[in-house]
Amino acid sequence: MFHTLTWVIWLVAAAVPAFTLRNPLYQVLILGASWIVYLALGRTSPVGRSWGTFVRIGVMFVAVAVVFNALSSHYGTIILFRLPQAWPIVGGPITLEAAIAGAVNGLGLLTILVVFATFNAVVDHYQLLRATPAFAFQVGTVISIAITFVPQMVLSATEIRQAQRIRGHRFRGIRDLLPLVMPLLATSLERAIQLAETMEARGFATVLHPDSLESTHRRALLAQAGLLAALLGLLAGLFLLTFVAGGTIWGLGLLILSIAGMGIVLWGQGQQVRRSRYRRVRWRSHDTLVAIACGITLAAVIAGKLATPQMMTYSPYPPNSLLPPFNPYVGAALLLLALPAVRWQVSTSESEQTTEPEGIQP
Amino acid sequence: MIKFDRVTYRYPGAQAPVLQELLLDVEEGEFLLVMGPSGSGKSTLLRCLNGLVPHFYGGMIIGRVRVAGRDPVALGPRGMADAVGFVFQDPEAQFIVDKVEDEIAFALENVAMDPLLMRKRVEEVLGQLGIAHLRHRSVNTLSGGERQRVAIAAVMTLQPRVLVLDEPTSQLDPQAAEEVLDALVKLNHDLGLTVVLSEHRLERVIQHIDRILYLPGDSQPAIVGDPRTVLGQVSLTPPLITLAKALGWSPLPLTIKEGRQFVRKLEAQQQPPRALMSSAQIPASATSTAPPRPSAISVDELSFSYNGHRALSDISLEIGQGEFVALMGRNGAGKTTLLMHLVGLLKPNQGRVRIASSDSSTALDTRQAAIDDIIRVVGYVPQNPNALLFSDTVREEIAFTRLNHSLPAVDDTALLEQLGLAAHAGHYPRDLSVGERQRVAVAAILAGEPQILLLDEPTRGLDYQQKEALVAFLAIEKARGQTIIMSTHDVELAARCADRVVLLGDGQVVVDGPARQVMSESLVFSSQINKLFRDPALLTVDDVLRLHRPPNRDTITDVPVSEGVPELMAPSG
Repeated sequence: MFHTLTWVIWLVAAAVPAFTLRNPLYQVLILGASWIVYLALGRTSPVGRSWGTFVRIGVMFVAVAVVFNALSSHYGTIILFRLPQAWPIVGGPITLEAAIAGAVNGLGLLTILVVFATFNAVVDHYQLLRATPAFAFQVGTVISIAITFVPQMVLSATEIRQAQRIRGHRFRGIRDLLPLVMPLLATSLERAIQLAETMEARGFATVLHPDSLESTHRRALLAQAGLLAALLGLLAGLFLLTFVAGGTIWGLGLLILSIAGMGIVLWGQGQQVRRSRYRRVRWRSHDTLVAIACGITLAAVIAGKLATPQMMTYSPYPPNSLLPPFNPYVGAALLLLALPAVRWQVSTSESEQTTEPEGIQP
Repeated sequence: MIKFDRVTYRYPGAQAPVLQELLLDVEEGEFLLVMGPSGSGKSTLLRCLNGLVPHFYGGMIIGRVRVAGRDPVALGPRGMADAVGFVFQDPEAQFIVDKVEDEIAFALENVAMDPLLMRKRVEEVLGQLGIAHLRHRSVNTLSGGERQRVAIAAVMTLQPRVLVLDEPTSQLDPQAAEEVLDALVKLNHDLGLTVVLSEHRLERVIQHIDRILYLPGDSQPAIVGDPRTVLGQVSLTPPLITLAKALGWSPLPLTIKEGRQFVRKLEAQQQPPRALMSSAQIPASATSTAPPRPSAISVDELSFSYNGHRALSDISLEIGQGEFVALMGRNGAGKTTLLMHLVGLLKPNQGRVRIASSDSSTALDTRQAAIDDIIRVVGYVPQNPNALLFSDTVREEIAFTRLNHSLPAVDDTALLEQLGLAAHAGHYPRDLSVGERQRVAVAAILAGEPQILLLDEPTRGLDYQQKEALVAFLAIEKARGQTIIMSTHDVELAARCADRVVLLGDGQVVVDGPARQVMSESLVFSSQINKLFRDPALLTVDDVLRLHRPPNRDTITDVPVSEGVPELMAPSG
């Protein structure tokens, strides 16, 4: 397994080209690399099962985009067939170029989806949450609880649906939702209260000293007030900047001040939270390798954008050629995204131990 | 370690206090069992120990509580967290993190414990609870017993001086319950940890506990004392104790082993010899084969698998009208899957399930018949009554089912009366106790007037009293000629109600026969009384009492447990 940070870097390196390069050749390369990574690493994780769903949604996007674009855009010279002119919007020539342009748009969405689905399948969610900055610790905890909660909700929902079905309940209209929603809501609420009680009993409050409860409350109040003041400042700054003539300097000053204030408040809050880590994920040589590869990919994409912008995007409409342009250096760099999969094959035995609890030295 | 000095507590908005002038003194290292009927304040008392009462619930508390030298009323649950470990009833709603190891370490991470020490603590606790092999698993993939042990481990990492458990096994099957209780006994013995436990399954813990606190409820004073003394005074007891009290055995035997000594004495006194007598008294239904009845459900070489896992294989069953069948077997043996086939929620991969219907001459095949036709004949009460209940009142629940079945609205008083729910007709179902909710679910299903009633684990979470109410109700239904198929882990319940037991193992029928025969031949699936006497004729307290007349008739009538039961167990043939 790789370090969580490695995966975040990988996500950036794969998502930036997926968002910016509108060219099917590059998109297919990113798609392929993500797929290989998923096949090598993602299939074992329980979340990994949702990968297929993401792909299905993406493929649906492609199909919809092809149909939609072919019907609505009538540019191009290669005419497949004609619809009567009298039909609004769809009427006129249906061209191959329009269909291809639609497919490329859809492919872009599919690529983005697959990149995120792959990240989702390979990353350790708990580790990711633990990597949240200290001030967002509570948000992280809430999300981690939600992740634990969802499978149970799904189970309850199935149970309820079956139970009501054999009681003769049929779904005919909105009113029939009640027998399904009410038990689910009540069950979830009961469970939530139970969990709150559990957390209370286990002392899960991020209080530094239990005996200084009073001062902690005061500090929390202070932080909230500070955050509110900073947000108001931000709003006022934006207002000055956009609506008041000659207010640019004041507006900018206020903006910077507010942002700095917010930063200080959040940092201060982060200082309040003290926690230690049970697991320390070790940064290993293969993490460095993948990170460097991702850096190369990003650099190549940016360099390509700057040096050969015409090779980065693709439009099938005339006077362009139907064949997309291709920069082999950028293409090769994108292939580097598949490196985590390759690396894994070589180093399985060594890397199994990456997420050792602290205290054991390699 | 724990001291209650005249503690009185009242929930916000409640008329009467739940705890009244309670006195309690628990030594360090003691294993205390808290028992009493539902609603008697067991949970409340336990929550006083770590300040959840009154901090989480509000209300008014008078008196002095001291736990491990601290005052939970002043400090609240946060201040008590490192002194009192608290484990709750529902193993599903206690987890914050998905992975077992992370869940256990979470509390320690939160108190910013040094990583080296934390590693040591987690390792220790994993070992103590015997869950080291589960460390990398997701909590959602664990069995109930494993989950409950993880929950215990998670509170044990803070090294509390008192471990408090609120009915930790009531949602578990017997094997899982045993796992959890064994783990507790081990913690108590090995570490000298003070354990306070509320529990319905007395027969499992009774030999390990030091004292019992009995809360009778209804503002009656609590009783504290060693197990024999307390059990001698209360009516909620396992069959062994009930029998021992009825026959006047003294001192009260707590285990089968102790009970055997009395049995040997009893057998020696018997004239004429026991063997002859018992065979003469075996109810006819147990020995002779029952007369052939018209078929209600016939299952024909049924096989079913899901996710590549074979859940049922090659099951053939013929269930006659008016039969009471208990479906038994370990967890995952396929009991619920089979019941779901009988009501058409699942369709067989191979084989077929046919349901006889009085409306039509041909039997319904679950593969072809619409589910709406099936549920006119078969009523299914799911394991979790919460899945059904959504209306504002009990009465509306019943009306909803009748509406679904296109049945005319009727006066439901008789049905509610029979289920002991008449007083709750206008109440919100989810506010009721577990036992009452279970009965509301039964009422909601019976309102559809099914000819066949399927019950999935109806005794889960019920105390002895609630179980008695259920037994009495089932007896009436059976007498009315209702066909009943019930999946259960509860050996005592099956022994008292069922006339036929089908034992499932790994998706196959292992044994299928008259209840008495099956249960007396089995070791795991035999009742306490059967284990005691090792005699197929004796499965229940009433069987024994019929045979061995106690010296003084009044002793029996003093045993409330027997009420309403004799007619059920009366020989039917």
